[in-house]
Amino acid sequence: MTMPVSMSIALKALGRNRLQTALTMVGMTIGVAAVLAMIALGTGAEAAIDQQVRAAGMNLIVVTAGNYKVKTEDDLGVVDHQAAFAPDRSSVRPAPALWYPDRAPTFRLIGHPEDDPMEKHNHPTASQRLGDTEAGLGSAATLSAADADAIRRIRGVQYVAEGLHQNAHVVFGAKRWFTRLHGTDVELPSIRRAWTMRSGRFFSAREQRTRAQVVVLGSVAANTLFGDEDPVGRDVAIWKQPFRVVGVIGNTSWMVAAAKGDDQFDAVYVPYTTVHALLNLSKLNDITITSASTGDVTRVAKDVTDVLRARHQIGPKAPDDFTVATQARQALAKGGLRPEVARAVVGNVAGLEKVTLEQLGKTLDRASRTMTALLAATAAVSLLVGGIGIMNIMLLSVTERTREIGIRRAVGARARDVLRQFLVEAVTLGLAGGGVGIVVGFAAALAISRTLHWSTSVSPWAVLVSFGIAALVGVFFGWYPARQAARLHPIDSLRFE
Amino acid sequence: MLISIRDLTKTYSVGDVAIHALRGITLDVLAGEFVSVVGPSGSGKSTLMHILGCLDSPTSGQYLLSGDDVSRLSDDELSAVRNKQIGFVFQGFNLLARTSAVENVELPLLYSTKDRVPVVERRRRALAALAEVGLHDRATHHPNQLSGGQQQRVAIARALLNNPSILLADEPTGNLDSRTSLEVMDLFQRLQDERGITIVLITHEQQVAEYGSRIIRFKDGYIVSDRPNPSRRSTIADAFGPAEDFEAAAT
Ligand SMILES: Nc1ncnc2c1ncn2[C@@H]1O[C@H](COP(=O)(O)OP(=O)(O)OP(=O)(O)O)[C@@H](O)[C@H]1O
Ligand SMILES: [Mg+2]
Repeated sequence: MTMPVSMSIALKALGRNRLQTALTMVGMTIGVAAVLAMIALGTGAEAAIDQQVRAAGMNLIVVTAGNYKVKTEDDLGVVDHQAAFAPDRSSVRPAPALWYPDRAPTFRLIGHPEDDPMEKHNHPTASQRLGDTEAGLGSAATLSAADADAIRRIRGVQYVAEGLHQNAHVVFGAKRWFTRLHGTDVELPSIRRAWTMRSGRFFSAREQRTRAQVVVLGSVAANTLFGDEDPVGRDVAIWKQPFRVVGVIGNTSWMVAAAKGDDQFDAVYVPYTTVHALLNLSKLNDITITSASTGDVTRVAKDVTDVLRARHQIGPKAPDDFTVATQARQALAKGGLRPEVARAVVGNVAGLEKVTLEQLGKTLDRASRTMTALLAATAAVSLLVGGIGIMNIMLLSVTERTREIGIRRAVGARARDVLRQFLVEAVTLGLAGGGVGIVVGFAAALAISRTLHWSTSVSPWAVLVSFGIAALVGVFFGWYPARQAARLHPIDSLRFE
Repeated sequence: MLISIRDLTKTYSVGDVAIHALRGITLDVLAGEFVSVVGPSGSGKSTLMHILGCLDSPTSGQYLLSGDDVSRLSDDELSAVRNKQIGFVFQGFNLLARTSAVENVELPLLYSTKDRVPVVERRRRALAALAEVGLHDRATHHPNQLSGGQQQRVAIARALLNNPSILLADEPTGNLDSRTSLEVMDLFQRLQDERGITIVLITHEQQVAEYGSRIIRFKDGYIVSDRPNPSRRSTIADAFGPAEDFEAAAT
C-alpha cells in the first residue's frame, strides 16, 4: 500500500468522527503551541540579550576631544556642576532664561564648566558666543571631520559618527524646550541599535552634505513639544533658525524607558555640518565608532589612537590630546540611563562595564530560563495528555473497526499494511493537532512579546521542530494501538461482532 | 491439481471443551471445477472454506495450493495469496461501511504488492468489474444504499478484481430471496464458463447446490458424500429447456 493511499484512508476515517477527532487534537494543539512558544521565547530572549548588550555598546568606541583623564579619576566622572545647572524641566518656561547669575558661585566647585565640551550648559556656551578657537575650548578642540574620515578608513571599523553637542532651545509655536542638541552624522542610527524611527526618517547624506536645516527629534523632545501630534514636516526654531522636522526617534529597548533628561531621547539631532555652518565651528566634540566585530574593539581602539596621534603630530612622549573610551562606561554614562543614575553607577562601581553587562545578561537569562522552563513543563504535560488522548482514540478505533481490519486482511492486506494504516492515522491526528498548535503558538509568542515586551522569534526551524515533535508523539502513542490492529488474526477479526 | 488437502483437522477449544470442526478431510479440486459444499449447520463447511482461503490454519493435516504447502508460507505470503489467487464472497457481504461501491471493489488493488496500480487504472478496473455485475450505475452508492443482492454483487465484483484462480463463496445467497439468489448464481455460472475460474460454493439450498459440477456433502466434520453433478443447472440450460438436452448438446 502506498503512502498517499494510507493517507487518504486515514483522512477518511478521521473525517467520519469530526468532533472526536477535534477533541483528540486539542491536547496536541496545546502541547505543540507551548513547544513553539518556548522555542520562540528562548531564541527571542537570546537575541534580545545580544541586542541589549550591543545596544549598551560592547562594540562602541568613543573618541572625545581633550584628555580629561586626571579630572575623571578625581571624581569618577561625577560632575556636580551639571546638577547645579540642570535646566528647570518642571514646566515650559514662558521666557527664555539663559543665564542664572544667582547660581554663578557654583562655578567654583569644579572650575569653568565650559572646559568640558561634553558638559551640558543652560547658558550660551562660549563657543556660541565666541567661536571655538577663542571659546576656551582651546586645546580641547582637537577633533575634526578629517579625523573622522581617517578613522573610517581603518580596518574593522563599521560605523563612524561625528559628534558635536550643544544645549539649545527648540521652539515650536509658543512652546519652547531646552534640550540637548547633537550635531551628528547619518551613520548614527546604525550605531544606536536600540533606536527605532517612530516616525519619518533620519536625515539623509545629501542633507548632511548640503548643510540642510533639518532636525530629528528624540521621542521625549517630540512629546514635549508636539504632544500626540506627528512632528514630521513641521518647522521648529533652533538658534532662531527654522529647522524642518524629518523624523522622530523612539526606543526599542525595554530595559530603560526614555525619560526627561535622557541624553538620547530628550534630545534633537541635526547634521553636524549644519551646526558647523550655523555656529561657525569647525571642530568636533567627539567621534563615535563601532567595530564590526565585538572581539575587535581593543585593536580598533588602538589603531584609532595611532591614527589620531599621527594626524595630530603628537610626539612619542607627549600625552594624547583626545580620549579613547572603549567600554560600556561611556555608554552607561551617556547612553540609555538617566544621567543621575548613570553618574551614580559610574561613580560607585569599579569594573562597572563588565559587572553590569554580565549581570544584565544573567538577569535576562535567568528570567527567560524560568519562562522557558514553565513552558517546557506545560508542553511536556500537554504532549503527554495529547498523546494519551491519541492512544485512547486509536484503541477505540481499532476495536470499532475490527471487522474492517478483517475485510482488508481477507482481500490481501498484510499485517504491516494494517499497522501502517493505523500509525498514519495516529500521526495525522498528531500533525493536525500540531498544525493548529503552531498557529496558536505563533499567536502566543506574539502575545507574549506584546504584553510582556519579551522579544520572541519564530524561526522556520522552530516550526519544523514543533511538527517533528507532533509526528513523534503520534508515532509513539499510535504504535501500540496500531500493533494491536496488525496482530489481529484475519479470521477472528472477520468474525468479530 | 489446484487444491489438494490431506487429513485436514481443525479443533477449537472453548474453555475445557474441544470442538472438532473438521475431523480429517481429504479432498482434491481440479482447476475449473465448480464444487458445491452442502451439509447441516455446524458441520464444518465454513471452517473448511476459511482454511482453503488461507484465512485460518488447520490443526493438523496438509493443504497444498497449486502444489505449495500453505503451512510453510509466511503471513505476508499468505496475504499475497489471498490478494492474488483467492476471491471471497461471504454470506454477510463484508463490505466496508460508509465506503462507496467502487471503493469497496478496488480494495484488493490497494494491497497488490507486486505491481503498483495507478489511481486512474484502479478506478477504471473497479468500474469495469462493477459493470460486469450490472452495477455501473451504483458506483458511488454506499452499502447501506444498496439492496442485499446488489451488495452481494459488489462483493463478487471485489472478489473478481484481481482475477483470482479460486472463488470461495460461503452461502452467497443466504441472505437473498430466491429470485435474487438465482441472479447471483447465474453470475457465478457465467464466470465459470467465461473465465474457467474454480469455484467452491457453500450452501444449504439444494437448488443453489445444483449449479455445481460436483457436490460434496458434510456432516459433523466429515465428508459423507462426494459426487459429480452431471445434471447441473445452468442459465443456458434453463433457456433451452431440460438439462438433459443441454448436456447432450454440450457433449
Ligand atoms: N472460533 C470458533 N471457536 C469455537 N468453535 C467454533 C469456532 N468456529 C466454529 N466453531 C465450531 O465449529 C463447528 C463448525 O462450524 P462452521 O462454522 O464451520 O459450521 P458451518 O458448517 O459453516 O455451519 P453453518 O451452515 O451454520 O454456517 C461448529 O460446531 C462451531 O460451533
Ligand atoms: Mg458456515
